[in-house]
Amino acid sequence: MMQEIVKVQDLSVNFTGEHGNVQALDDINFSVREGEFLTVLGPSGCGKSTLIRTIAGFQKPVEGQIELKGKKVLNPGPDRIMVFQEFDQLFPWRTVSGNLKYALKVSGIEAEKRNEIVDKYLELVNLKRFARAFPHQLSGGMKQRAAIARSLALEPEILLMDEPFGSLDAQTRTILQSELVRIWEKLGTTIIFITHNIQEAILLGDRVLVMSTNPGKIKDIVPVEITRPRLPETPEFMGLWHKLYSMLEVKRFGENGK
Amino acid sequence: MNTLKKIYYNKFVRQFIFIAALLAIWQIVAASGRYSELILPDLVSIWDALVESVSTGELWEHTSYSFYLIGTALGIGCLLAFVLTALSMLSPLVADFMKTITTVFHPLPGVALLPIALLWFGIGKESVIFILVHSIIWPLILNTYTGFRSVSRTQLEVGRNLGLRGLNLVSSVMIPSAFPYILTGFQIAWSNAWRSLVAAEMIFGASGGKGGLGWLIYQKRFFLETPAVFAALFVIIFIGIFVENFIFAQVEKFTVHRWGMVVRRS
Repeated sequence: MMQEIVKVQDLSVNFTGEHGNVQALDDINFSVREGEFLTVLGPSGCGKSTLIRTIAGFQKPVEGQIELKGKKVLNPGPDRIMVFQEFDQLFPWRTVSGNLKYALKVSGIEAEKRNEIVDKYLELVNLKRFARAFPHQLSGGMKQRAAIARSLALEPEILLMDEPFGSLDAQTRTILQSELVRIWEKLGTTIIFITHNIQEAILLGDRVLVMSTNPGKIKDIVPVEITRPRLPETPEFMGLWHKLYSMLEVKRFGENGK
Repeated sequence: MNTLKKIYYNKFVRQFIFIAALLAIWQIVAASGRYSELILPDLVSIWDALVESVSTGELWEHTSYSFYLIGTALGIGCLLAFVLTALSMLSPLVADFMKTITTVFHPLPGVALLPIALLWFGIGKESVIFILVHSIIWPLILNTYTGFRSVSRTQLEVGRNLGLRGLNLVSSVMIPSAFPYILTGFQIAWSNAWRSLVAAEMIFGASGGKGGLGWLIYQKRFFLETPAVFAALFVIIFIGIFVENFIFAQVEKFTVHRWGMVVRRS
């Protein structure tokens, strides 16, 4: 049994938006094992983004707490690096390698070591040719690759991915999904990955955490016992897809009484 | 035919032809002898006046004084603008206050403040600098504030995620992210100041025997040295074009264009 790296206990978070203070998350309890790939699946508005942002330290819980390796999470920090959905997460005034180098500099890596690390991670995401390009010269998929490289280069305890492929076209998305699995298998990084796409949740995750909405609660945590590489056409994949789909559907038509 | 067409459609070739044509018309009218040289001198005498002004060091002296004035004003203006913008970022109350006074003072031309400057500071460089600072700070505050407000939330969070806080976050993320706006503000501030400067100098003249380009023009007119007046006007035009179309264009090329961060001018 691998060690638990993240422990979320009795978490309750409010979200302040246009309609005042709304309870976004209620009574969330789960933990992530070291090296695990956990996908969080839920309909939009279920608070899955709030959940990952609270783990990252951008939002404060009302109740409960999050522990990373036994230490309580209070603020954002480079031990939990976030990959966003937005394409503008790279600094446009720095080149691709400049973005990686700057992140390494801020986290205190000595200047002599930075180049080597940058090369290693750009190679890993197949962006070495574009090291000297500026972000605006890259396609959306390449920007997300660069952002993933920058995050991995910092060697965080956990990688937090908030629908990083949500704005990509289907084809690029499929490619990046399989590359992410390849990178994860190689590095063994612990990952929490937010998605509203059932297929993506099954393709990537060791376990799928399914959420329900109003307020966001954990519906179930479903282990994915399909050997990788996973193919959506196989019966076991389709079986699990329908199972997860019905879990999301029950919420939509059942609990709201429609 | 194709090369000719290319040349014909080249922006610079066209501009050159336009200017050459205008100068040619000028020269023809002036050389016709219909107007006195005191009213419309020909290009040759203007050129001679320019050469003389350069060789005696007179032009250089006045130009550098103008630059000294505008440089001082830009220094004070930038400092004030950044302090006031920083305060606006810290408190919404200050932000509202700044927004109000910027809205009130921004449309007021610097030259309109000349009488007030006379009353408050008397005749001297302080009055000129006061007017220049006025024409610099409002566009700079307006644009810097807009720039800071438009910093991408994602980029701010990436910065915080890396562990940047406070002033580090401002200098490493907010200023570069707002740079296109700051640069635009600076360009507007410069062109406002340059136009106000020449006007203000004519009114306030020289203090302690020193004066800028505006004062040079005023003096030359007084002595009816019309070619020298036109020579100084050409220098003012040239400096304006050089700073706006060359210096700022180069800064843009190596920053916002290179970074793909171009914003439309407001």
